[in-house]
Amino acid sequence: MWRQWLRRLWIVVKFKSAGKISIRDRVGLGWRRELAVGILSHLDRIDVVEVIADDFFDAPRDERRALRTLAAQTPVVLHGVSLGLASAVPVDKKLLEKTARLCEEVSPEYWSEHLAFVRGGSIEIGHLTAPPRTDATIEGAAANLERARAVVGEAPLVENIATLIDPPGSDYDEITWINKIIGSSPSDLLLDLHNLHANATNFGFDAREFLKRLPAERIAAAHLAGGKWVEALGERRLLDDHLHDVPDPVYQLLAELAALVTHPLTVILERDGGYPPIEILLRQLDRAREALAAGRSRQNERMEKEAA
Amino acid sequence: MSAARLEAFLAKIYVDESSRERFLADPRGEATKAGLSEREIEALEKIDRAGLILTARSLQKKRQRMTGKRH
Repeated sequence: MWRQWLRRLWIVVKFKSAGKISIRDRVGLGWRRELAVGILSHLDRIDVVEVIADDFFDAPRDERRALRTLAAQTPVVLHGVSLGLASAVPVDKKLLEKTARLCEEVSPEYWSEHLAFVRGGSIEIGHLTAPPRTDATIEGAAANLERARAVVGEAPLVENIATLIDPPGSDYDEITWINKIIGSSPSDLLLDLHNLHANATNFGFDAREFLKRLPAERIAAAHLAGGKWVEALGERRLLDDHLHDVPDPVYQLLAELAALVTHPLTVILERDGGYPPIEILLRQLDRAREALAAGRSRQNERMEKEAA
Repeated sequence: MSAARLEAFLAKIYVDESSRERFLADPRGEATKAGLSEREIEALEKIDRAGLILTARSLQKKRQRMTGKRH
C-alpha cells in the first residue's frame, strides 16, 4: 500500500539523516457544523480537519461543494460511522459506493471506519456497538475491509471502539481480537485513546500494556475525546460521550504512543456537543502537541542510548 | 449462520426494551427461541447485566440526539 511504502521510505530517510530526529506529527479537529466558524477562522492552529463522511452521503450539491473547498485549503480526512465492518454479515455495498463517491470528490488523505457492528437482522442499532470477539467477526471484518478496499480504492484505517459491556459470546480479549483483524486485513489502525482508556478503566486492563502489544508500525492516527461516569445496578462505568474535555490519562497515553511509534501521527480531537469556546478546543490541541513532543523526546533519548 | 444470528439477537436486546426485559427474565428461553448455539446461550446466561442496561441507555440517548439533529 502506498501509505506503508511512504512510511518505510520516511523511516529510511530518517535514519540516514544525522543528529536528532524531528517528526512532523499533525494535530487537528473533527468538523462539526457548530464549530465551523471557529475552525475556519483558526486554520493556522489546526493542521488537519476530520469530516464525518456519512453527513455528506446525501448532502445537497452546495454542501458537497463547500466540503471540496475546505479540502482545497486544508488537509481533510473522512471518518465513517455507519458501515458496521466488524460483523459476520457482509457490509452494505450501497454504503460503500456512497463512501467511494465522496472519497472521489474530496480526495481525503485517508478515510477511516470503526471495528463495530451497527445493525443486526433487520434492526438498525443507531450507533457503534462492540461485536462478539470471535473468529467469525475477525473473518467477517477482514472480508469487509477487503470489500471496502475494492470498492473505495483504498482500505480504511480502522478504529477501536469504546464499549460499556464486555461483548457477550466473545472468545478473545480486545487486544488479541484487534491484532488478529489487523494481521489479516489491509487496514492500518486509527487508535482512539479515550476508547482505550475507557475500556481499560471499565474492564480492568492496563492501557499501556495494550499499547505495547499493538503493532506500532500499523498505527497511523489517533483520536482524543472525553467522557463521563455512568452507573447501573451499583456499578460505575466510564462512558465515551465526546461531550467533555480530554482527561489527563488520555494525554499520557498520547505521549506513550509518540514514544513507541517511529513515523508521523495524525491526531484528531473529537467533540460532538457541549461545545466550549473554540479557544478551549485549540488549547486541547496544544496540549496534544505537548504530549506528542514529550513522547518524541523520550523516543530520541532511547535511540541515542541505543546508538551509543 | 450462527454468528449473524447472535448479532441480530444482541441488536434486539440492545435496542428494544420489551425484548430486553423478556431476555433478562429468561435468558436461556429467549436465546433458545432465537436459534442460538448452546455455547452462545451459556454466554448470554452470564451476561454483564449492568453493562447491558448501560449500553441500552447510551444507545437510546444517542438515537434521540441523532433524531433531534434531523429536525
